[in-house]
Amino acid sequence: MTFRTCSYEKELHQALKDGHWPEGCGQELRTHVDGCGNCSDLVLVTQTFQRARTESERAAPCGSPSLLWWRAQLRRRNAAAERVSRPITIAQTFAWFVTVLVGVVFVASQYSHGLRWASWWSEFVPPRAFHLLPFGSGQVGWNLVLLISGFAVLALLSALVVYLAAEKS
Amino acid sequence: MDSDAFAGFYQRSAPGLRAYLVRVSGNAALADDLMQESYLRFLCATRPEGGEVNYRRYLYRIATNLLRDHWRRPGAACIEDVPEQFLAARDRLSSIDSQAMLEPALARMRPRERQLLWLAHAEGYSHREISEITGLSAAGIRLLLFRARRKIARLLRQQIAADRGRA
Repeated sequence: MTFRTCSYEKELHQALKDGHWPEGCGQELRTHVDGCGNCSDLVLVTQTFQRARTESERAAPCGSPSLLWWRAQLRRRNAAAERVSRPITIAQTFAWFVTVLVGVVFVASQYSHGLRWASWWSEFVPPRAFHLLPFGSGQVGWNLVLLISGFAVLALLSALVVYLAAEKS
Repeated sequence: MDSDAFAGFYQRSAPGLRAYLVRVSGNAALADDLMQESYLRFLCATRPEGGEVNYRRYLYRIATNLLRDHWRRPGAACIEDVPEQFLAARDRLSSIDSQAMLEPALARMRPRERQLLWLAHAEGYSHREISEITGLSAAGIRLLLFRARRKIARLLRQQIAADRGRA
């Protein structure tokens, strides 16, 4: 297929667009269209599409603009709230992450250093208090208590972080 | 743009936009969804300067991008691969203008060709404006439109001849 342009095409296109074809056009253009394949294609196609557009417009059931307006307002408001709360959420998540990290490091360091502070603290606590504990007053019992407490705190914080993330999403 | 100004703009632009989406997608339900989403994005976005003409062009650009996104989605056929007859069969408007000669001819065009033809001949957009709306180059549009117009004109003439033969 050869790509050819016609010198009358622009003028004809404008006339069709403005609704001036054929009455508002000169005899010269009309005679040209009769003999030019490109221009007669242009007339046929443009008039057919314009008619189809008019038919479609008449048939189109369009929704309520006010409903769309309010939906857009809601979407804009949500987007604005999202933008504002994003740094807060990031800071919140970071804070929880640091807390959990500190907890893990603390439990790990205490476990590896044999819970020295615990033995120091036990000197100030009346020995009778340890009798209430089911593990006795020995080093193994304290290790176990702290380990379990550490894991419990860790589990609680993790659950909180997961909850916050899930709530956000 | 306030609520009243939008209502006026919507009343003037919605029928044309819907006609464009229905004709190109061949699916009235999809066209309705895309039209609503187009207006929502239009309202939420920073609109171009220059009044209603530019607003309308921007709206068509959003709708065209949504159509392209729809065709790119997994499960949806590509714009170049959608069987035209399938799309035409699902067009609910076919019952309204089934007598019109455009319907069978459009059914044999590719969606991309329908898109360009509709924008150029139904909406009256220039090649540069179609380029802004579709993201294709103006030179490419010129050639594609020339071929599409030649093809649909041939189909329309065949249709006219067939109608005369039946009459």
